[in-house]
Amino acid sequence: MASADPFDSALDLLRRLNPKHTAAHLANIIALAPDLTEDLLSSVDQPLTVRRCKQTGRDYLLCDYNRDGDSYRSPWSNQFDPPLGSGLGGVGPGGSNEGAGEGAVPGERVRRMEVQANEAFDVYRELYYEGGVSSVYLWNLDDGFAGVVLLKKGSPQNGSSSSGEWDSIHVFEASERGRTSNYRLTSTVILSLSTKGASLGEVDLSGNMTRQVEQDLPVDNDEGHIANVGRLVEDMELKMRNLLQEVYFGKAKDVVGDLRSIGSLSEGQRERETQREIIGSMRR
Amino acid sequence: MSSHKAIVSSFVEGAPPGEVGHIQSLTISSPNLVSELGPAFQKYNEEQFTTVKLPGSSQPVIISSHSSLGGNQYYDIESSTSFTFDHTTQKASAVESYVSEGPSADLAKSILKGLSIYVKEHFTNAAYGAYPIESDSKVAVVIVANKYSPNNFWNGRWRSLYIFDPSTNSLEGSIKVDVHYYEDGNVRLLTNKSVAASVSSGVGAGVAKEIAAAEKKYQEELNRSFTSLSEGAFKALRRQLPVTRQKIEWDKVASYRLGQDIGGGAARR
Repeated sequence: MASADPFDSALDLLRRLNPKHTAAHLANIIALAPDLTEDLLSSVDQPLTVRRCKQTGRDYLLCDYNRDGDSYRSPWSNQFDPPLGSGLGGVGPGGSNEGAGEGAVPGERVRRMEVQANEAFDVYRELYYEGGVSSVYLWNLDDGFAGVVLLKKGSPQNGSSSSGEWDSIHVFEASERGRTSNYRLTSTVILSLSTKGASLGEVDLSGNMTRQVEQDLPVDNDEGHIANVGRLVEDMELKMRNLLQEVYFGKAKDVVGDLRSIGSLSEGQRERETQREIIGSMRR
Repeated sequence: MSSHKAIVSSFVEGAPPGEVGHIQSLTISSPNLVSELGPAFQKYNEEQFTTVKLPGSSQPVIISSHSSLGGNQYYDIESSTSFTFDHTTQKASAVESYVSEGPSADLAKSILKGLSIYVKEHFTNAAYGAYPIESDSKVAVVIVANKYSPNNFWNGRWRSLYIFDPSTNSLEGSIKVDVHYYEDGNVRLLTNKSVAASVSSGVGAGVAKEIAAAEKKYQEELNRSFTSLSEGAFKALRRQLPVTRQKIEWDKVASYRLGQDIGGGAARR
C-alpha cells in the first residue's frame, strides 16, 4: 500500500478534517492536486447555494447537476443564469467541461417529470421543513433517467443563541425494466448546529452523513416514478434524521461521558462491586 | 512549494484526536516535506497536549509550551524527568533526571497532589501536569483525556489549561472538547469554555477543588446543551413528520396545492 490512490486519499482526508470547513479543505486539496478537481467537485457534497430565478422570482438551489460553466439552470423557468451563449459561460474553473448532467437540459418527457417533481417536493418541503428551498433536477439515461433532489433550510439566530443549517442532497438513478423500475439512491445530509452562552461557552456540532438504498418498485406511468422517488426520499430522510439525532446528541454526549465521568469513578466501582456481591449471594 | 507546505501544515494542525498520523500519511508523499513540517507537528502537539509514555514508564507525560525546555526538550515534575520529543513520530527519548526547584515548583507539586485525586476520580484515561511559568510567578495546570475507538469510528479528547496566580489567588483557563465520529460520514463536536475562579483556601488542594467544580459544572451545562440543541435548533430545521402526523400520500401529491388542505389533515397556514 505504498502509493494509495490520490482520489481515495483526498476523500479519506475530507472524512477526517473539520466538516464545517469542507469547502476550504476542498479548495486546498485541489490546489495540491489539480488533476482531481472535476472528480472531487462532482463527488464531494457541500452546503448548497441559493439563487433567485430571474424569470419567476422563486428561489432555487445550485449544484453540479444544473451547472453549465458559470451558469445555472432554474428548475422553475428552465432558463440558465447567466444565459448560455452570452460569452460568459462555457468552461468551468477546472478548465474542463465534463460532469453528469452539466449543461444538459433534459428531454421533453423528462423535463415534464422534472416540473412535476419540483411541484411535489415543494409540497414535501413545506410539510417537513416549513420553510427553506427545494429544487429537483433530472436528466436522461439510456435505460431511464436520473436526478437529484435538493433541500435546504437554515434557522437564523432569532433571539436565541443557537443556529442551524440543514442541506439534503439525494442523487438517484431510475432504470426502467418494463412494469418495474430499479431505483438507486445516495443521500447525504449536511447538518451544522452551534450554540453559545455565558456558562456554556461555544459549542459547534457540524458534519455530514451519507447512506444508500436500492429498491425495485412497480411503476405504471411517469407520475408513478415521482411517487416512488418521493417515498424513497421521504423514508430515507426520516431514517437519516433519526440517525443524525442519535449521533449528534446521543453519541457525542456518550463520548464526552467516556472521556470524563460526572460521577465519581471509585463510587461507581464500589456500587458495581456491591451489586455483584448481592447477585452472588442470591445465587448461593 | 511554500504554499504546499502551508496547506499540509493546516491539515496537520486540524487533525482530529488520535488521527494526526492518518493526516500525515494521506497528505505527505515526499520525505523532504516531512522535515519541513516540524513546526506544524510541534504546534499540534503543544496545543493538543499530546501525551507520551517515557521509555520504561507506564505514566504518560504531557507535551505543551508550558512544559518545554526549548528545542525539542520537555520536562515533567511528577516524575522529575526531562526528555527529547520527536514531534513527527511522537516518540520520547534521552530521558534524564530533572529536578525543579523554587517556590513555584513546590506550589506545582502541591497542586499535582490535589489534582491526582480529582483526575483519578473522574477520568479513566487522562494525563495531568503542573509547571512553573512566567519567571516562577505563576503555575500552569494541564489536564488531557483521550479516548480513541477507531474500530467504532470515533475518537475524543477533553483538554483543559489553567493558569494559577498565587499573588492574587486567581485561576483562569479554558476547557475544550473535541469529538470526531466518522462512520459513513464526518461529524465533529468542538467546544470551548473559558473559566475564571478564585481559590480561597489551602492553595494546592484549593486549586484542584476549583478545577473539579468548574469541570463538573461545565460537563452538566454541555449535556444540557445537547438536549436544548436537539429540542431547539434541530427540530426547527426539519420536522420528524408533517403536522398531520402522517407521511405524504405521494399518489395524490400531484393534486396537492400549497395553501390548500393537504392529505385531509390540518395544514395551518
